[in-house]
Amino acid sequence: MIKSCYIHIPFCQSICSYCDFCKFYYNEKMVNEYLDALKKEIDTYYKGEQLETLYIGGGTPSVLNLDELTKLLKILKVFNKPSEYTIECNIENITEDKLKIFKKYGINRISIGIQTFNEKHLKYLNRHHTLKSALETIRLVKKYFTNINVDLMYALPNQTLDELNKDIDIFLSLDVPHISTYSLIIEPHTILYNHKEKNIDDELDYEMYKLICNRLSNYEHYETSNFGIIKSKHNLTYWKNLEYYGFGMGASGYVDSIRYDNTRSLNEYLNGNYRKEEIYQTNKLKIENEFILGLRLIEGINIYNFKEKYNLDILDVKNVKELIMDKKLVLTNDNLYIDPKFWYLANDILINFINND
Amino acid sequence: MKQENIRNFSIIAHIDHGKSTLADRILEETGAITEREKQDQLLDNMDIERERGITIKLNAVQLNYHYKNEDYLLHLIDTPGHVDFTYEVSRSLAACEGALLVVDAAQGIEAQTLANLYQALDNNLVIIPVINKIDLPNADIDRVKKELMDTIGFDENEILLVSAKTGVGIKELVEAIIERIPAPKGNKNDNLQALIFDSYYDSYRGIVALLRVVNGSIKLGDKIKMMATDAEYSVVELGINNPNEKKVDELLVGEVGFLCASIKNIEDVKVGDTITSAINPASSPLAGYKPMKPMVFCGIYPIESSRYPDLREALEKLKLNDASLQFEPETSQALGFGFRCGFLGLLHMEIIEERIEREFGIELIATSPSVVYEIELTDRTIIEIDSPSKMPERQKIASIKEPYIKTNIFVPSSYIGSIMELCQNKRGNYISMEYLDTTRVNIHYELPLSEIVYDFFDKLKSYTKGYASFDYEMIGYKKSDLVKMDILLNGEMVDAFSLIVHRDFAYNRGRAIVENLRKLIPRQQFEIPIQAVIGTKAIARSDIKAVRKNVLAKCYGGDVSRKRKLLEKQKEGKKRMKMVGSVEVPQEAFLAILSMDEGE
Repeated sequence: MIKSCYIHIPFCQSICSYCDFCKFYYNEKMVNEYLDALKKEIDTYYKGEQLETLYIGGGTPSVLNLDELTKLLKILKVFNKPSEYTIECNIENITEDKLKIFKKYGINRISIGIQTFNEKHLKYLNRHHTLKSALETIRLVKKYFTNINVDLMYALPNQTLDELNKDIDIFLSLDVPHISTYSLIIEPHTILYNHKEKNIDDELDYEMYKLICNRLSNYEHYETSNFGIIKSKHNLTYWKNLEYYGFGMGASGYVDSIRYDNTRSLNEYLNGNYRKEEIYQTNKLKIENEFILGLRLIEGINIYNFKEKYNLDILDVKNVKELIMDKKLVLTNDNLYIDPKFWYLANDILINFINND
Repeated sequence: MKQENIRNFSIIAHIDHGKSTLADRILEETGAITEREKQDQLLDNMDIERERGITIKLNAVQLNYHYKNEDYLLHLIDTPGHVDFTYEVSRSLAACEGALLVVDAAQGIEAQTLANLYQALDNNLVIIPVINKIDLPNADIDRVKKELMDTIGFDENEILLVSAKTGVGIKELVEAIIERIPAPKGNKNDNLQALIFDSYYDSYRGIVALLRVVNGSIKLGDKIKMMATDAEYSVVELGINNPNEKKVDELLVGEVGFLCASIKNIEDVKVGDTITSAINPASSPLAGYKPMKPMVFCGIYPIESSRYPDLREALEKLKLNDASLQFEPETSQALGFGFRCGFLGLLHMEIIEERIEREFGIELIATSPSVVYEIELTDRTIIEIDSPSKMPERQKIASIKEPYIKTNIFVPSSYIGSIMELCQNKRGNYISMEYLDTTRVNIHYELPLSEIVYDFFDKLKSYTKGYASFDYEMIGYKKSDLVKMDILLNGEMVDAFSLIVHRDFAYNRGRAIVENLRKLIPRQQFEIPIQAVIGTKAIARSDIKAVRKNVLAKCYGGDVSRKRKLLEKQKEGKKRMKMVGSVEVPQEAFLAILSMDEGE
């Protein structure tokens, strides 16, 4: 039974220098056509399940004007008020009117891309808010919403530990119930990559990671990069390897044992050729994903659920016993998880579970 | 063909002095190949031979030449130029009555040339001195002539001047071969004696033996016997190369050709052995067959352990063509299942490794090469070991002996100081020095073979800007103060890194190894100490710092496939590592142990 859905809105006012996701410059005509196509895609695939989580991501969904947002949210009414309903927003295009519309259509969680408050770094990332505008906007958001996430990015080019510390001070002062952190990875096809920007020194990155873990200790570090007083139910769908719809250009989904990626070409999408890749998930693939996703959670994988899902004892999966003996994995009565000491190196552990023949 | 009109000869030359080009030119001159068939260096069949400009396996070609109203049959027997293959050289020289000594007009005589020349003289061969590449702008014909006259004692008028590149002097050279080299002496009516000077494996015909009929003759269908092994066969095929294979019914006294007899076991066909008739055997074999003894050993392991059976098959196939290659199974805690292989020398080792990787597509890790040590135990028994892992416990060892060599190092006299410094650093004992002319010397040192297999060649090159040429002969075993040095990773010994070193050099080498390993082994999940130890005492230490970030931050919109791809890429990278205990060691680290600078 599918309980989650992701909606991608690929439009942005400006392009962030680190972004390699599916995005376009905002353009009214395109938005209109896009929303029509999105509706068609949903009508084609959605089978009417009662969803628990709905997530509108981007791009920058908040770049849409009031009319466009209304049109979008009307389309999404088909999902019938999921209990967690999130939209991603950028500081510079949140307005009180938009917040009211969000509220009206049942959105109850706002995820705000802030990344940093340091002006030098904001400029380099090509983001356009200021400390002042951010603080004002968040005060405004809090007037309407309590379930708020903010994104914090670190390991920025030339960032110092001290600068990060100052950022954390402000993030904490925002007093929101969820913080997503991520260390900047310079991906191909990004502006930073083209500038031949290099990732920061490993040592410093590690120091930053530790600093974040220490300073966000009032939040539960429930997933590799997520800290929450209120957790994100939507993201848990991913980590628990459950099925979910993904609609919109460049979106990924997982339906009827098929993981699919949608096209990133606007033409293809408008012509109804939504899906670019569909990979059937064999039991072997499902088990592999169960590990590489589930072990990102602090609670890890529930061994009874695992047994029920795959009719297989989790200890019989290749490398599990060895990793437990090695003290990298911890087995309790109910769960199997990565010793938090090794979170920073999770990939070294996860690769033990892929492509095992 | 009349016996007196046969000439058998080989060519002795240093690498790069143009032996193969000259051979091609002679083939052209005698009409054995047309311009159209010409492919550079016809006699070197293997890619590796052409690329490295060396000859590894022998070849023999038959040539026809009309001279002064007579037809002549010339057999050119190619020889490898490298010291590792000295035995093969000696066998091919034994099949000839004469040899061309080819010297580069710009470079003069080189060390390896001289070693082979002495062998030819030992075999009473007639030598025709040839100065090649006289067309070079920096040719110094007078100096090279003087070298030939002074160091070997030729008359000036014996020396031929040729350019294999332009063809100048080739006709005169072929005529000199006919005029100066004597016809083979054997008796056609004696019982068959044919010298095997090379063999190779052909998957359709079995072993193909290259041979020279010394006495008697051999016909299709004849029953033959190998005198060293007593194995008997019937001759299925006889032929010559001109240079393409041509089948014949009979090989007569003095002739050179190949023989097939459905022989499957290369051990039955030993190079240097004599073939005789099984019905009317000769009373004695031709001058001594000498089994070849590997001088250099190393462990060879497949990077992917699942390819162990393929590696075995590759070694077995190579051995079919190369009786001197030895191997036996070996296991290493660090590297898993592999083989301990014995080689004639370092070049032989490199060539075999390269052929396995190239022709069989198996990626290898080779451990550092070792020589054979003679160890006298406290109970007076003597054992030989070819691997540091076979070293007995220290308290059981009375003394250790290691093989020594004597060098010929040909070098411009301005480098004498550098050579002495190098040899001194390599535990050498100076013996003597001869001036070849006013600018070049031949320096003789006694050196432990183990120092040669370490990095001597590279060092020699860099100390002399490539001007030195080097050759050596074994002079036996000598006592040395040797110790086994182990390398510990995270406190665990890595057997593949162990080596035997002289006590006085242990500290420097240990430090160099741990430093290099520190640079080559990627950061791990914990801090890892690397130590060099002798017995239980650490003599050098370095630490690999703990690893840093390796976690994917975000998973955009549930984009699982991207995450998988990244993990798969990381996993691919790990495949090239070997798990040694709890430490991941990249393949390069095993190779780097072989060639590292001590950083004085």
